[in-house]
Amino acid sequence: MDILDQLGAVREGKLSRRRFTQGLLSAGVAMTMVPAGARRVMASEGDQATYFTWGGYDIPELFGEYQAKNGALPNFSVFGGSEEALTKMRGGFVVDVSHPCNQALPRWVASGLFQPIDPSRLSHWADVMPELIDLQGNDAGEGKVWMAPFDWGQSSITYRTDLVELPNGEESWDILWDPKYAGRLGSLAAGADAWWIGAIKAGVPFDQLDTDEAFEKIAAVMREQRPLIRTYTDDTTTLEQALASGEMVAALTWNSSAALLRSEGVPVAFAKPKEGALTWVCGVVIHKDAPNIDRAYDVIDSLLSVETGQFMINDYGYGHSNRKSFDSFDEEMLSGLGLSKNPIEVLQAGHFQIPQSQDWETRMNELFEQIKAGF
Amino acid sequence: MADTTLAGKADSEADPPRRSGRLAGFLHRSETARGYLLISPTLAIMTVGIIMPFLILLVLSFWTRQGFGFDTTPTFNNYIRVWTEPIFGALLQRSFWISGIATVATVLLCYPMAYFVAFHVHRNKMLWIILMTLPFWTSYLLRIFAWKVILGYEGVINSGFMAMGWIQAPLEFLLYSQTAVIITLAHAWAAFAILPLYVSLEKIDKSLLEAATDLGDGPVARFLRVTLPLSMPGVIAACFLIFIPTTGDYVTPALLGGPDGAMIGNFIQLQFGAVNNWPMGATLSIVLMLWIAAIALVFLFLTRRAQARIT
Repeated sequence: MDILDQLGAVREGKLSRRRFTQGLLSAGVAMTMVPAGARRVMASEGDQATYFTWGGYDIPELFGEYQAKNGALPNFSVFGGSEEALTKMRGGFVVDVSHPCNQALPRWVASGLFQPIDPSRLSHWADVMPELIDLQGNDAGEGKVWMAPFDWGQSSITYRTDLVELPNGEESWDILWDPKYAGRLGSLAAGADAWWIGAIKAGVPFDQLDTDEAFEKIAAVMREQRPLIRTYTDDTTTLEQALASGEMVAALTWNSSAALLRSEGVPVAFAKPKEGALTWVCGVVIHKDAPNIDRAYDVIDSLLSVETGQFMINDYGYGHSNRKSFDSFDEEMLSGLGLSKNPIEVLQAGHFQIPQSQDWETRMNELFEQIKAGF
Repeated sequence: MADTTLAGKADSEADPPRRSGRLAGFLHRSETARGYLLISPTLAIMTVGIIMPFLILLVLSFWTRQGFGFDTTPTFNNYIRVWTEPIFGALLQRSFWISGIATVATVLLCYPMAYFVAFHVHRNKMLWIILMTLPFWTSYLLRIFAWKVILGYEGVINSGFMAMGWIQAPLEFLLYSQTAVIITLAHAWAAFAILPLYVSLEKIDKSLLEAATDLGDGPVARFLRVTLPLSMPGVIAACFLIFIPTTGDYVTPALLGGPDGAMIGNFIQLQFGAVNNWPMGATLSIVLMLWIAAIALVFLFLTRRAQARIT
């Protein structure tokens, strides 16, 4: 094809209609091809497993083993609440590995979206604490499990030790209901944490959550708290920044927020409320249509490794499921983080979440969202 | 290669040309058909991208949630709930209130800017317009976070005021409130007001203004009697362009609204997310659409009448 000075032709007014159309066509083809090129480049990375997880777990520190074996990090997709994640996957979002908690596990399994995990394919399985595997609804038969336990911890109050005066000198959930701190309290937005705290505060035992009376009692408590809350958010960074600046004096968080703030030198404590904290175990599940099943097992193996466990304990303050991860920490340091080498001790000292029915979950979320909106 | 094409041509010569001739003839005769043919690519995109999803939404809104699935018996229950339960009405009202104020604020703030460029800038007008729309070259999310930095507890405004000794403690109503949402919306949508206002002001025939002055109108009367009525199309367009999308806005209230700043868009998102009630979400979307259409029609009717009275 001969090369024309197109610009010159335009200037002289000599650009023929055919030339002009050709120019347009080539521009159009070029534009269409741009994403095709990018896609091919992405494809070399796309062979990695996709891990659909909570915000904060999408960091290289947790995937040392995976990276060493596969040469790259897995792909990440992040959610803020596990209900949101389940809805997204039910809507057709296919991933390899996801990250529910024990309370949601039976409902996740009932959705039929996940496949049993074969423990014989996991190299660290022998070191995983059996108490954490033996969860309600986790047995998939034939020695398989639905969820490989990964992290465990508490939902409790992270408060500024310099700005909060403890009621009667005791750490208590009352801090989050204290009108003295109106507008300076924060909370996680998901009902999967906040509603259960409401149950503890209202004195409703977890095995009686599914009654009209329990709903009324907890709703009353949540309505009482709502005007005091500055913002409800699923983004832990927002809460951490607000606590660091003093915009908030106390907030409902997980272990990691307190651990991160403390490492920044902010005077905070992660409360051990006298009524008991909310405790949970989370783990990883494999999607039934996981496109990279071998790498999915690599993701799980990497998460269960000792190096990952040490990072989780030391930097995030979470418990880990591999018992060897605890070996390099002494009891004193662990109890400072609210952890122990014997997880059952910590989990039973608090209020351990019990799985609920889908109907309960929906009703709870509907009611809690209305309360948050001011009704 | 050449042979086959020739052969193919020879074969088809008997019948198809007449058919294509018939088609061409039909197109030649029927203006409607030609029109449809011309807009067919757009029409196809509209059908696939807007009409089909809307129909799906409409059908979904008459279903009921049932565990993980849907009960597909048609029912008006969702609409009855929206009508009877106070929360939906209150959220709709709040959304219209917030985006209404944001719309008025945006138009009021942008009118002087557009006016200045249209009447007092004589060289490099395009440069001025580009400069005014420059902030809109950044992502919407970035602009929201920028406002978070400005309005925040230790943000620009608070720390500035504290340094000057005007306030003792940071102003807390700035962030996580309806004020924050209104300010951010008014800034984020400014480009959509400046451009239509500028175009309508630019079109005004300057000799009309001179005539008004000659006939004894002062600057204020001249503005009210000539400039404003003639720029009304721009004002109306700007109002629509801002009011309609901001009413259903979701990101801004989610990040800056706090508990009292939640709007209907957030609630619709929750229905499709955590609350897991897609039919209800569909119903809310349709009710919102109907309300916006109704408000827009009333607004159009009122401005038409006002304009008729002025001219």
